[in-house]
Amino acid sequence: MPPAILGVLLAPGRVWALQVHPEPEGLIAHQLAHLFFATTMAVLAYWLHVNRFVRERGWRLIQISCLLFLLWNIGAFAGHWAAAHLPDDIFVGEPGSLSRKVLSGQSVWVLPYLIFHLDHLICVPAILCLLLGIRSLYVKVLDEDGAGF
Amino acid sequence: MEAYPLAPVVLTDFIGSALMIVLSCACVRYAFLLRRARPANVLWTYLLAFSLALAAFSVSRGVGHLVGQLLSFAGKGDVWKALLPYSGAVNTLMFVVVGSITLFFQRVQIINREILNDKRDLEKASSEVIRLNRDLQSLVEARTRQLSASEVRYRALFEGSIDVVFIVDDTGRFEDLNQAGVRTLGYESPEELIGVLSLKDVFVKERDYDALAYQLRTHGFVRDRECLLMSRNGDEILVLLGMSAKAPDAHVKGGYHGIAKDITARKRMERQLQRADRLASLGQISAGIAHEINNPLGIILGYAQLIMRGCDKGTQGYEDVRTIERQAQNCRRIVGDLLKFARAADTRKTVVNVNQCLRDLLALLARQFESAGIMVEARLDPELPAVVGDTDKIKQVFMNLLVNAKQAITGSGRIGIETAHDVESGQICVIISDTGVGIPEDLADKVFDPFFTTKPVGEGTGLGLSVSYGIIHDHGGTIELNSEVGKGTVFTIQLPARVDESAKNG
Ligand SMILES: Nc1ncnc2c1ncn2[C@@H]1O[C@H](COP(=O)(O)OP(=O)(O)OP(=O)(O)O)[C@@H](O)[C@H]1O
Ligand SMILES: [Mg+2]
Repeated sequence: MPPAILGVLLAPGRVWALQVHPEPEGLIAHQLAHLFFATTMAVLAYWLHVNRFVRERGWRLIQISCLLFLLWNIGAFAGHWAAAHLPDDIFVGEPGSLSRKVLSGQSVWVLPYLIFHLDHLICVPAILCLLLGIRSLYVKVLDEDGAGF
Repeated sequence: MEAYPLAPVVLTDFIGSALMIVLSCACVRYAFLLRRARPANVLWTYLLAFSLALAAFSVSRGVGHLVGQLLSFAGKGDVWKALLPYSGAVNTLMFVVVGSITLFFQRVQIINREILNDKRDLEKASSEVIRLNRDLQSLVEARTRQLSASEVRYRALFEGSIDVVFIVDDTGRFEDLNQAGVRTLGYESPEELIGVLSLKDVFVKERDYDALAYQLRTHGFVRDRECLLMSRNGDEILVLLGMSAKAPDAHVKGGYHGIAKDITARKRMERQLQRADRLASLGQISAGIAHEINNPLGIILGYAQLIMRGCDKGTQGYEDVRTIERQAQNCRRIVGDLLKFARAADTRKTVVNVNQCLRDLLALLARQFESAGIMVEARLDPELPAVVGDTDKIKQVFMNLLVNAKQAITGSGRIGIETAHDVESGQICVIISDTGVGIPEDLADKVFDPFFTTKPVGEGTGLGLSVSYGIIHDHGGTIELNSEVGKGTVFTIQLPARVDESAKNG
């Protein structure tokens, strides 16, 4: 397994079929960071729930954002995992062009690789939720001030 | 061989990275605004830190993707390859930062909540303090109002009292004294007394004061003590004094309150009443005796005269009977005096000119007084109204008093006679004074008793003053004496003036 991971420092890099010789501790640290991030998001979501913060719309949105980030981390983790299992010569076509392709049938990891690399579909909504949450809290604070005068 | 296009992944990556940068920057902005609106709230600081870390991550990752993409399109994959590890390292770092901040968030939030709770408690406490302060202020105001009202009330009680109310310090010096006190002691204003005089100064007898001070020191109070005080003009005032220490256990220090009731007038009245009572009962007895003696005396006198008529003048028998007759006459005179004292003798009331009576008597006694070296000073009020009464009896009163005065003077002296009219009370006043030996205080009450005399047997019968007393009372008047041993005696007679004539004169 470690040799598989060795090849993967960054998934996008591999997309371009650039032969990297990544340091193994780099990937391990990155993956652990994802897990750590995921864990803390779970903790925060739970904590927001326990402390009834979620009764407020803003915090509820932030909680949703946490859960989405949690999912995203898991997805990203899996994406790296899959990328680490792909052989280098599976990518065909001009590097840097949109016509580049990945050969199917050579590895079972191709499909998971492709799916998990659509991670922006989760992390963009996650950060959107965060933005809406913070904005909602801000609006509420403004209202309070307005009511105060 | 089948192949999947990578274009969807690349495009999502491209657009997503851009969106991530934009959105995370927006997050930072709002978090920043939020924190600026509520700098004290640590929650917003956390959100700002969280957003900043996410933004850093988004930028490092997004820029990595975008730049990588662009460089790849431009065929500069090598440059990108060199940059890649940095981008990856920053991402890793940012994940850890975001995670760490989040883990700390819980702790921070607990602290924050405690701070907020403390703050709320503090605000509550401070508003409570403000409220208490306000309450206290109004309480103090109300109390002050009550106090000044109470002060006014007690001042009025103090000043309005007809008894002497005073406060002295522990040395007896006056600290306060009401109007009645100032008046009684004969002063004009309290300032003449307060802080100037002490209780000791107004006591006639130092012994009395020492006894009072001793009792106050040992018991802390005195009750109903009769004390003789001296007014400014030297009048003696008999007061009933009650005093107590200001504080219950401050026998020694702190001073005393006191109330003194002027009982001079009451005491005098009491004494007069007692005397009147005694003399009235004596009068009844005397009248009874006199009446019983009068008849046998008359018979003795009648038979003595009868025998005398049958005897020749010059014989021993005649002289003997004459002696009997003379002594019987003496007895009759005494009995007559007794009856006068008892007011049993009949009076013929006419209009009496008192001044004239006195002039007649003086004419009669002038020679005697002169030869005894006694000067007579008469100041008769020419406007003196007449009184209604028995001229002879009134003359007898004056006679008794003048004779007593003469007898009281050894060697030379002076006798004063004064008449006056007190329009207010409708009384005329006759004052007969002498510079004689005076009457000791303990005898002053007894001199009006029948047969009380200090003179040797045969010289005085002790009926003079009792007869005078009887006559004056029979005329609705009073007789009083004021005497000082060694200096002299003053008798004051008051008789009601004749009403219609004084009205005419007036
Ligand atoms: N002016 C006076 N000065 C001093 N002592 C007086 C005076 N007048 C009366 N007394 C005293 O009062 C006593 C009683 O007086 P009162 O006139 O009643 O009787 P008397 O003079 O003794 O006798 P009487 O008047 O009957 O001859 C006197 O004995 C005398 O001690
Ligand atoms: Mg006499």
